[in-house]
Amino acid sequence: MSEEILKVTVDKFTFLVPKGLSYSDAGVWIKLEGNRARLGLSDFAQQQNGDVAFANIKPVGTALESGDEFAEIETVKVDVSIPSPLKGTIVEINPSLVEAAELINQDPYGKGWLAVVEVADWESDHTHLLDANAYFALVKDRAEAEMKK
Amino acid sequence: MPELPKKKVGLIACSGEEIPEGTITRLAVRQVLESLRPEQTVTICLPLFLAGGEGDRAFARFHPTITVDGCAKRCAARGTEMYSGKPAVSIVVSNSAHPNSAALGSARRLSGAGMQAVRDVADQIAGHVDNLLGLKWDRRSGRPIHGSPPEEESKPRQAACSCGSGIPCQALCVAGREVTLIALPLIFSQFREAGKLPSDSTKTELMQAVKIYNPVPSEEEAAYAQAVMQEYAAFCRGSN
Amino acid sequence: MKEKILIVPCSGIGKSLGSVAREGAYVVTEELCPGRTQLMPLALLVLGDKETQIELSSAGAIAIDGCVRACAAKVVEGAGGTVAHGLQVLDVCRRHPDLKPSGISELDESGHQLARALAEEVKELVDNMTGEVTHA
Repeated sequence: MSEEILKVTVDKFTFLVPKGLSYSDAGVWIKLEGNRARLGLSDFAQQQNGDVAFANIKPVGTALESGDEFAEIETVKVDVSIPSPLKGTIVEINPSLVEAAELINQDPYGKGWLAVVEVADWESDHTHLLDANAYFALVKDRAEAEMKK
Repeated sequence: MPELPKKKVGLIACSGEEIPEGTITRLAVRQVLESLRPEQTVTICLPLFLAGGEGDRAFARFHPTITVDGCAKRCAARGTEMYSGKPAVSIVVSNSAHPNSAALGSARRLSGAGMQAVRDVADQIAGHVDNLLGLKWDRRSGRPIHGSPPEEESKPRQAACSCGSGIPCQALCVAGREVTLIALPLIFSQFREAGKLPSDSTKTELMQAVKIYNPVPSEEEAAYAQAVMQEYAAFCRGSN
Repeated sequence: MKEKILIVPCSGIGKSLGSVAREGAYVVTEELCPGRTQLMPLALLVLGDKETQIELSSAGAIAIDGCVRACAAKVVEGAGGTVAHGLQVLDVCRRHPDLKPSGISELDESGHQLARALAEEVKELVDNMTGEVTHA
């Protein structure tokens, strides 16, 4: 990943937010690739949820509305439902996650991607997304609040 | 103005498995982290620290640490010094726990006396945390007394941080006023040892390091960066 | 006398997986394979304890790590030892999805059951390494 990466350290934890992506409030990153979008879990979200034991992603062909669950992550701590930030149809899911779900923890913005969605209405959906700076500010606030718990 | 990040103390337990004192270190540190001083402490995972965990090592480099070892081998204290810096406080449980180690139970299951030793060591750690952070504690409410000031000390140009951690700090002039930056001498030494000469890219990296342990108001960041670079250039000239 | 197989748990303090690794190591060395295994504290390997170095050079080691960071395995190798087998509690979790451990200072019932499942897997490895099969 060659683009600039925003970084915040709270206590001993560092959270990365690459600049070239869009983000949902729920911690899903979105990379537009033509009329498709690659989706994954942000570094902050994967650190919050813990070590991933299983990643269950809806199959290819699943039609999604914005907010529909498109993946469920089972960690040692919790089972987390991941909502889709977009309307569209799943066209590809990451085959590596079957054997190595820990890629979501180890390389959340690279090999740990979750799914590729053919986007139905980017014009409308992208207005609800956060750019890197806005998501970075959110991460800072949430990380500091988390440390106080 | 952004809220000042709170100073915290890193706690490092040896967690040794062979003797009950090792288990006492683990449980005592968890007790401090979970109950006694949750907002003032961070636990540093010794295995991760030793195996190369950069987040833990960076934290221990710039924050005061308390190591808690089960025995005189002092693995946590020695490991911390090896990879980050001398701990502010080094506790060895075998020096202070029940004189008859066998009464503490086994490493796997502590006895009642062992659990009492956990509480005693946890209280000891909490006291050291308070000293390091300059906190006074309200025993009735179980909360820190807000506004309890750190000890006033005379302000030489370079001094140890007044929290008592022993971390050196340095005063410099930013936008016409004196500002003290914690860990600045250490940062300068590390950069110089890494062969990083004063330059634009070094300025960016220096500020990233400074901001780990010092609050820098965003509207003054440029002024801070200029002041830090001037000091660093002077430091490099002085060390040639 | 045959060298004992070294069991090196990570004992990570930040997650329940570290506590499961620790408890699993105790089950192996105290209950399932007491005469054939020896628990080795990870920190002693890094800090160059002389006795430890001697033991490490002559015996095989089984590293038990809580998570994919694999600190115990890395430390054993860094100290010049050979990791005969590296287990991760997270993988054992995957084989027992009904067991979700919690608690770090005190493991819950699921944590203890997971530790036992882990220990059984380690025992199989020990049996293979020593050529002996014992029944607890």
